[in-house]
Amino acid sequence: MSGSAAATRVYFREAIARALSEEMARDPALVLFGQDIGRFGGAYREFTGLFERYGAQRVRDTPVAEAAMIGVGVGAAAAGLRALVSITYMDFLMLGLDPLVNYAAKARYKTGGQLRVPLVVKATAGARGQGVAHSQCIEAWLMSVPGLVVVAPATAADAYGLLKSALRHDGPVLFVDHKRLYPTAGELPAEETLVPFGRARIARGGSDVTIAAHAYTVRVALAAAEELAREGVDCEVIDLRSLAPLDVDTLVMSVARTGALVTVEEGQATCGVGVEVAARVREARDGEPFRVARVAALPAPVSSNPVLEAACLPDAARVGAAVRALLS
Amino acid sequence: MMTAGALLRAMQRIRAFEEALAGRPDHGFQLFSMGQEAVAVGVAAALGADDQLLTSGRSIAAALARGVDAGAIMAELLGKEAGTNRGRGGRGHLAQPAAGFFGAHAVVGGNLTIAAGVALALATRGRGIAACMFGDGACGAGALHETLNVAAVWRLPLLLVCDNNGYSISTPQAMALAPQPLAALAQPFRIPAVTVDGMDVEAVREAAVALAARIRNGEGPAFLECRSARFATHSTSTRETRAADELAADRARDPIVAQARRMQARGELDAARLAAWDEEARVAAVAALAFADAAAYPASGSVLEDVQ
Repeated sequence: MSGSAAATRVYFREAIARALSEEMARDPALVLFGQDIGRFGGAYREFTGLFERYGAQRVRDTPVAEAAMIGVGVGAAAAGLRALVSITYMDFLMLGLDPLVNYAAKARYKTGGQLRVPLVVKATAGARGQGVAHSQCIEAWLMSVPGLVVVAPATAADAYGLLKSALRHDGPVLFVDHKRLYPTAGELPAEETLVPFGRARIARGGSDVTIAAHAYTVRVALAAAEELAREGVDCEVIDLRSLAPLDVDTLVMSVARTGALVTVEEGQATCGVGVEVAARVREARDGEPFRVARVAALPAPVSSNPVLEAACLPDAARVGAAVRALLS
Repeated sequence: MMTAGALLRAMQRIRAFEEALAGRPDHGFQLFSMGQEAVAVGVAAALGADDQLLTSGRSIAAALARGVDAGAIMAELLGKEAGTNRGRGGRGHLAQPAAGFFGAHAVVGGNLTIAAGVALALATRGRGIAACMFGDGACGAGALHETLNVAAVWRLPLLLVCDNNGYSISTPQAMALAPQPLAALAQPFRIPAVTVDGMDVEAVREAAVALAARIRNGEGPAFLECRSARFATHSTSTRETRAADELAADRARDPIVAQARRMQARGELDAARLAAWDEEARVAAVAALAFADAAAYPASGSVLEDVQ
């Protein structure tokens, strides 16, 4: 068992609920907005207990209107509150991109520093049998928005620590919680441990190839690394955790040792997270050669059909094949 | 309560400001409010120090009416560091929340949901209301309907003001919007709504004051439609598409002339005082322009400041 003796094992949803509850106690200005987050406790039960403890004024069930949910959260945050808006499926974040991208991300800049928007948009991403409009991972779209922080934890401890950092940040943050992580559990340190933005985590040390992943694909990468270890291939798995800002230093140091980089993501390869990771490492390596491959969802919508869903998504077998091809 | 003369002078200052700015096309296009001054002035007259006003991109009149410094507005519109937004926002994004002008936002309908959030924050604080001005062009956008709904459900202290000038750039309202009058949009949400002549500053003020009083009384949001007319093109770089006789008829309803005539008819104003007020407004506009001209552009090295 790693960590202190007092560390507790919690489910991903419990880590989120605990971070929310502690931050609501710490900051009376924090208000939560979402569909079915009140008595119902959230689609993934990640809001359990908050309505009972903090009441309907601070745990607000909203109409099914993502543009208004995010817009109201942005306006409330800009006017002195702190807001978290929960988007049940990241696909529906598209409906609220205008207030997030055109207002929240630009408010501080365009007002010459007069306004700040302490807002977290929690968007639940990933495929789990729910079909073409309830499965997407579009976090790469948002990485290029100046003024917006994008984080995507893979563990309970990072969900807790990154959400806390997000809830104390004075600008907008997109917090991506992958739905396949909800049934997973992990250790939470006994002492409150915040995770800063822009700091990746080495999930597994290795010397032959660097695999960069985030959110659920960290688990995919680790599973591939286990298989490859049996073949004598030693993989280093880097959990990006923070996509914007990106921890380029940790990636560069790893690739300097391994000379090979495989990126893994559940979104699309084109203009994806992997493209940015590879380009940033390439720029920082200043001409030093390294091999690179991308593993991502296939260029098709993600069907609710289990055969087609599995065919579309990156899995350990595809990651393993990419590593083998790269090193051969 | 602002006097009839104060309402008139506020409109004169806006007109003179925009006329001065019109002579300076060197900083790109501008979004003038000429003809629509009575809406901004009448609405601002219903707001107090604890209140916040948000607007569409057409915001010069509203910012001035709210009491934001004319020099700082002019500097902003000409891209200077001394501007309200340090020259970063420019036309369509004027803001000075400390003065009760939360700001303009140049996405059509884009400030509506934001205003609902500001209203929620003010309600949480326990004082103040939010008012949001938007054009008739925003009435076809989903944002208005979502805002009406959430504001009604949560009884937010929000005054929605439709500054209805009849056109979305060149598209006449009848080609783009089914509801008539636009105030009827509020009905299904059981939000009280009033339509007034937006060229009559006293009518706008009276309606805005009455609706604001209801809102302050905890009765939830209200909707005010002001039928106005835009004298200039949509922006200074947009082609005019309206017929000359239509424009002439609109200009004959000039809200500044109408208010001056009304006061003269009531024996509250003589020609000499009217001329003196006009001159004062012109001098203030020239001073604002001089301030802006003397101010510096932002240093190019500051481009990354205040991003995050």
